[in-house]
Amino acid sequence: MRGQVFPERAHPSPQPSPARERARVAALKRHCLDLVARGGGSETRAWPLCLALLALLLAILPAQAGQLDRAAIEKNFPPPLVVGEKDAALPIWPILKQQAGAYEVFAYAFESVDLAPIPGFGGTPPDLLIALAPDGTFRDVKVITHREPVFLEGLGSEPLFAFVEQYAGLSAKQAIRVGRPNARAAGAAPQTTVDGISMATASTRVINQSILASALAVARGKLGFGAGNVGLTVRAKPDLYEPLSLPDLLARGWVKRLTVTNADATAAFKGTGTEASGDGPPDAILTDLYVAYLNAPTIGRNLLGQARFDALMRELGPDNHAVMVLSAGPVDAPENPVGERFVLGAVPDRLAIGQGGLIVGARDMAVERRDAGQAEGLPAGNWTILRIDQAAGFDPSAPWALTETIVRERGQILSEKIARTFSVETALPEDLFTRVKPEDGPSWTDPWRARAPELAALAVMLAVLVPVLARQRGLVADQRRFTAFRLAFLAVTLGFVGWYGQAQLSIVTLVGLVRAATATHDFTFLLYDPPSLVLWAFALAALVAWGRGTFCGWLCPFGALQEFVALLGRPLRIRQVTVPPGLDRALRHVKYVLLAGILVAAAVGSPLADSLSEAEPFKTAITLYFVRSWPFVAYAAGLLVLNLFVYKGFCRYLCPLGASLALLGQVRILDWIPRRAECGSPCQLCKVRCRYGAIAPSGRVDYAECFQCMDCVTIIHDPAQCVPQVLARKRQRRTTPRSVVVA
Amino acid sequence: MTGTRRRVLLGALGLAGLGGVAAFRAVAASRGLAIRTRAGLAFGTTVALTGAGPDPTAIEAALTDGFAAMRSVETAASLFRADSALARLNRDGGLTAPDPHLVALLRFALTLAAETGGAFDPTVQPLWPLWSGAAARGERPDAERLRTTLTRIGWRRVRLESDRILLEPGTALTLNALIQGYAADHVMAALRAHGIADAFVDTGEFGALGAHPDGTPWRLGLADPRDPATLADVIAPFTGFAATSGDYNMRFSDDRADHHIFDPATGHSPGGLSSVTVTAPTGLLADGLSTACMVLGRERGARLVAAHPGCAVRFTDKA
Repeated sequence: MRGQVFPERAHPSPQPSPARERARVAALKRHCLDLVARGGGSETRAWPLCLALLALLLAILPAQAGQLDRAAIEKNFPPPLVVGEKDAALPIWPILKQQAGAYEVFAYAFESVDLAPIPGFGGTPPDLLIALAPDGTFRDVKVITHREPVFLEGLGSEPLFAFVEQYAGLSAKQAIRVGRPNARAAGAAPQTTVDGISMATASTRVINQSILASALAVARGKLGFGAGNVGLTVRAKPDLYEPLSLPDLLARGWVKRLTVTNADATAAFKGTGTEASGDGPPDAILTDLYVAYLNAPTIGRNLLGQARFDALMRELGPDNHAVMVLSAGPVDAPENPVGERFVLGAVPDRLAIGQGGLIVGARDMAVERRDAGQAEGLPAGNWTILRIDQAAGFDPSAPWALTETIVRERGQILSEKIARTFSVETALPEDLFTRVKPEDGPSWTDPWRARAPELAALAVMLAVLVPVLARQRGLVADQRRFTAFRLAFLAVTLGFVGWYGQAQLSIVTLVGLVRAATATHDFTFLLYDPPSLVLWAFALAALVAWGRGTFCGWLCPFGALQEFVALLGRPLRIRQVTVPPGLDRALRHVKYVLLAGILVAAAVGSPLADSLSEAEPFKTAITLYFVRSWPFVAYAAGLLVLNLFVYKGFCRYLCPLGASLALLGQVRILDWIPRRAECGSPCQLCKVRCRYGAIAPSGRVDYAECFQCMDCVTIIHDPAQCVPQVLARKRQRRTTPRSVVVA
Repeated sequence: MTGTRRRVLLGALGLAGLGGVAAFRAVAASRGLAIRTRAGLAFGTTVALTGAGPDPTAIEAALTDGFAAMRSVETAASLFRADSALARLNRDGGLTAPDPHLVALLRFALTLAAETGGAFDPTVQPLWPLWSGAAARGERPDAERLRTTLTRIGWRRVRLESDRILLEPGTALTLNALIQGYAADHVMAALRAHGIADAFVDTGEFGALGAHPDGTPWRLGLADPRDPATLADVIAPFTGFAATSGDYNMRFSDDRADHHIFDPATGHSPGGLSSVTVTAPTGLLADGLSTACMVLGRERGARLVAAHPGCAVRFTDKA
């Protein structure tokens, strides 16, 4: 749901970390939920009990750490592999392989929870067994334990097991993203993408983070990489173009030239006995290379021309890099690195691209040579365009070097090869590029683009709803048609907003906000769920105008579900239980207490916030379509049954989200429900008909409890129903009806 | 450090590979002996301890102590551990109440330095970043920087006192040339303390005690430095300790002219020898002598080894 901050290198420590602390309460939390579920309607008594229980158990439960012993590791890495002694510094088991009498490292095996205990959706860090090969490739990833509710209580663990299997063969040296389900089949880069699981986005992101972060910690400690470019993607800005000629580019240093003369070579080969093998005068040119990073349009497009540049970028694929090396020196010279011995499509043997002391894998792209006119003023000569895969971790915004190797042979019969290298460094300005750090995850714009159709439909819904609610003498006044409209709208709310669009607003978002405000200071998580954010914005705007009712009465899918259940229950002729007014008032306060508990728990970083949030049946009923373990289902179903006897009992007494909206609703500026002088005294019709108990005997409307069902508004605008108006008419129309006062 | 580890083949375990572990175990079992091997990582390479005896539990306990001994040596003097006493000494230039392992190693190193006229020198450490940095760029260090680095090298720049070690400014130590042999000594001592009479330890250098549980002597195969997959020589029977220094393990140039052993006088790797194997009564001595021989060359190296009773040396010239 939200980005977690994890320590760079987490060593197991005797002090319980917050994550461990969270881990401890897992079992307990579920127990607590069971209590709630079993409690049915009597949750109010179960909660304080739970709180006490939690506090007690928090104090006595031991902290969680890696759980596999040697025997368990050996089971996972059977002979001929040998499980070595556990590392002295890091919680890592070396997995060795016997090779010609000596041992070689096959993999480093470790538990993710020891190195990166990132709390999962339910607050407990998943524990994964990861085997990382010395070259940074994942040999294997297995789930040891997890408490992800979406799998435990919904999908089952198999999809999760299949999910982590995707990591085998991928490299920890690059950022791996969780894509949409079937992302790989749909063309996402298979080295850097794993297929996601629908409905488990948050959990799979946590698992992905756990795998990458713990692997990185091991890589830093054992493999000597992980500090620099891991997962970094640097892209040339595609729209940054400035027409420049080759001399301009050379002057800026954006295209580099590497010239080796006879004198240079003689100096380099000095003392090898081959210094004199070059022909001609000292200043004669042996090789003359032009080196250009093509992805930047100002370089590539200027050198290749628009059409060839576009074609090249298409062929190259996203995030890979292309470097052109053109040899303008003597074509037939044996030193020419792209001379006749150059092999198209191969890794060149005489050219190398290096960065930070490491050679970056680069291969000739075998671009069609014919008609590849070096039109834009490039000198004539053989050339190669080298492709650098994104996975190589190449950073074009940092200095890099092209190295040319010149080989000379000494001796006639048993000749010996002597190589000398010549390099030129390219340093392009950073503002030509955008840098994407892997921790950033996918851009927040992605879901907005992907969900544009849903957002449009949502906008239409809201655009229909607002005028209907605002024009009280319009549709609202027509009871029959308005009822039909309301039911249709609620059906859309339940089916489209809830089950299809997964845009049920939830107290979890407020918990996230509080945590972001107190701990992470990162509010971007809101941007990843566009429909919810739109609904939040609308609900808040409606709060200011009308109060909480707009959301609670019209846009809450679970609310809609309760309304339909009540409707379907009508043939059963269930009699509503009349809650005594004193108890009713007391029960209404429960939701505020619950809200306070959740928000305080979130503010102090307690995982209790997650447990208490489960009082909301939304995840069970809407997110998981009731496919969850039975206590949760029983709880949600129980609330729906309760709804048959105490109409929307959950909304009125328990819903922490509703409580928060009711509190925020204090800012409401319109008293939009029309009142007459007779309302309350003597007329009690609306008070009696209000199914939410939001009208006091005095006739005053308690907007904090109003669900904007419009029943009373319909009544007051219906001369046949509104008692004072009926009475007035009966008084032989001697007095004209008094106009309705709308504040 | 990812260089190919030294490829001295374990004769004994090589045999096991040929005959199949099961067959080999069966022979051992028929003599009433159990055999246990435990492998792991230490000193930046793989290590393995093998012990044999009548009581498997005793062997396991011995191997556990053997690894503990290795860990304590690492904690004292491994440069692969940023928190080792040696790493702290290099960082701070001085150390009070130093770890006894560190003192023992350093005392031996300074004695050997004096004996070899500085051919063996524990202060060559500053050359390492210079060479590895240059090699990463595909170059050799430039002469000027090499010259200034050499001014920081010299075993007399180290003061080893009863309760502290002091380094002159700019000086840094490496005991990598000794630590594996020294660890072999301590591992062997730990195994003996548990009553193990037959053992073979590989801490990067080798030690053997008693015989193989199948009754045959331990054998140590020496890999051909130019073709590590083949055996150039076999030491059989092998008891005591053996250490090999060579130009093929961590090298900076493909032609093996530049590698991890430095001549303290020039700052370059010594030419002439490709590898040296010394057998000695202790691992520490074997390890120190083999490194010194690489620098001293064949004649002077042979004289050095001859001065130490119970030691023998094998040279392989550069091809």
